[in-house]
Amino acid sequence: MTGIGAGRLAIELIEATKRYGETIALDGVSLGIEPGEFFCLLGPSGCGKTTTLNLIGGFIPLTAGELRIEGRRVNDLPPHRRNVNTVFQNYALFPHMTVAQNVAFGLRMARLDGRETERRVAEYLDLVGLSALRARSPAQLSGGQQQRVALARALARRPAVLLLDEPLGALDLKLRKQMQVELSRIQRQVGTTFVFVTHDQEEALSMATRIAVMSDGRVVQSGTPREIYYRPVDRFVADFIGESNFLEGHLAADGGARRVRFRDGGAVIVPSELPVGLARAGAVTLMVRPECVSVGTTAPEGQWATLTGRVINVAFLGNHTRVTVQTAAGAVVTLRPHSEGSRSAALDGLLDQEVCVWWSPQESTVVASDTGGGADGSLA
Amino acid sequence: MPPNSAGGAIVVPPATGLAVRAKVGLVRAWPFLPAGLMLALLFLVPMAVMVVFSLWRTTPDFDIVPDWTLDNYAYFFNTPTYVRTLLKTLIMAAAVTAAGIAAAFPFAYFLVRYVSPRWQRAVLLAVIVPFWTSYLLRAYAWQAILGPKGALNQLLTGIGVTDEPSRLFIYDNPGVWLVLVYVYFPFAALAIYASLEKFDFTQLNAAQDLGARPDQALLHILLPQVRPGLITACIFVFIPILGEFLTPALVGGTEGLLIANLIVNFFRGLQYTTMAAFCFIIAALVTVLLVIFRRYLQVEDVVART
Repeated sequence: MTGIGAGRLAIELIEATKRYGETIALDGVSLGIEPGEFFCLLGPSGCGKTTTLNLIGGFIPLTAGELRIEGRRVNDLPPHRRNVNTVFQNYALFPHMTVAQNVAFGLRMARLDGRETERRVAEYLDLVGLSALRARSPAQLSGGQQQRVALARALARRPAVLLLDEPLGALDLKLRKQMQVELSRIQRQVGTTFVFVTHDQEEALSMATRIAVMSDGRVVQSGTPREIYYRPVDRFVADFIGESNFLEGHLAADGGARRVRFRDGGAVIVPSELPVGLARAGAVTLMVRPECVSVGTTAPEGQWATLTGRVINVAFLGNHTRVTVQTAAGAVVTLRPHSEGSRSAALDGLLDQEVCVWWSPQESTVVASDTGGGADGSLA
Repeated sequence: MPPNSAGGAIVVPPATGLAVRAKVGLVRAWPFLPAGLMLALLFLVPMAVMVVFSLWRTTPDFDIVPDWTLDNYAYFFNTPTYVRTLLKTLIMAAAVTAAGIAAAFPFAYFLVRYVSPRWQRAVLLAVIVPFWTSYLLRAYAWQAILGPKGALNQLLTGIGVTDEPSRLFIYDNPGVWLVLVYVYFPFAALAIYASLEKFDFTQLNAAQDLGARPDQALLHILLPQVRPGLITACIFVFIPILGEFLTPALVGGTEGLLIANLIVNFFRGLQYTTMAAFCFIIAALVTVLLVIFRRYLQVEDVVART
């Protein structure tokens, strides 16, 4: 993403590295974020996602590499001169100011005149639905309301990019779901580039237009939520986002179609196009999402990846049933949604039965096995 | 009583009679009785005695006679030396307070922001340690440092800055100022530390994120929130200095005397009625200051941390 078109990117990291003494927090990360994106940095704690956000915000300096905001190199620019604003994890509202004064602070610092400031404060408080509470102090607000103030305060300066550090982390589950919808609406309405950090995969999938999955200071994979979910590049990504079946086997060519052959017997067809570097035969992990796996007493005709086994567990989970089948390749979990009442009851009768599980080869992914099962193949 | 008041455990229905109300009031008040008794016996009664004394007269034979008069107060205000000494004491207190806060604020800021909580405790302990040494001893130690043959002069003559011992450091106002700054630094440091410790420093990041320069962030965000601590520090330094007599007596010489030294002199001269009047003038001054700054005072913070 570097090169001639780079000037059009909202944020561009080029080989960005951050070291604290011997510890590497960020290891040569290159990343481009387009204007208007709702971009998510996703990963477990300590993966470097918050470091990346703080680098963009200007709160910590880069050790090496380059950071550009709207095409301009800003490595050495202090936070108050960068065209980005941040919604802090703890909101960092100013407790000695009212809601309106909090929102106006950034405008005062920008020396906007009084009338324009007043107009913008009203506009952004309206955007987050807090116009009625403008005279309150932050201590008189609920967590969700405080977050809205933080959002209005950051957006009122109309930055090129809005940074959000675990924006929903401090809220309870119900409010979190509500704010996910709300944040998406606000982002679409203002059209500002949002970059947010989270360790919650569901948050990332539901809000982001694009996700960068991070681990150990690197970006392991970036792509749309669908790409990340259905085409994870390695076991770490597949494991971190959603649930997945991991079946260890060997890649083998059987005439026309390539298959993964399992040690204890059985083989399944794999997707027609495999990741680069996997052309050769070798130890691989086949990954398939539980909801892509079907279960029944007989497999249907056609190009399916099929395994046989015995049902060892059936769990009714309200809106779906979870069936675990012991196959030659290992335990395969399948999730069956309850589209009709009769089906959920029928699944109960499968326990201890010999059954088939099958899925479309295109819905599975094959990656090279890594011995450690760690974050990144190269680390093993 | 508003329904949400702190003592709202006892709910009084609006129709309750006056007698019952009074009774409830008494029940609520009685836990304060021991404290009230202590205050009355140890503070209000002695103060009352002082007021009475200040309005009486001392005969040339040092007898105190109950002739009601305002002469003692008039004597103070009609004697330029006394008024001047009071003014000088106020200036000294202000100068010490200013220097104390100028030193304590960066100290506390650095401590809270850049030192781990474990080391913070150690450093605070080191700040408090001098309190365990007698004040008298510390004042004498400063005499030994600042005196004509003191450590400071020996150092200066030793490295050739001065040819002969300077008398600049002692028996005058600068010496008194220096020692008082030293003595009152811990009070200022602890009061400011207590309010800085509660401050959420991500607010400074937020302010800079919103376009404030670092100095603007301090001015608009930090300062308003630690103002109570700063005012507490002012009160804890300024007011005790109005009653300082030991340091001026030991390192102040004849030039560095403060108002409390005059009061001590009247005491030694058995002029109790004049002394009581002088004391009351200072007490009135302190009361006025406290009333002005009362709502900012955070005694509980300082007490809880020392």
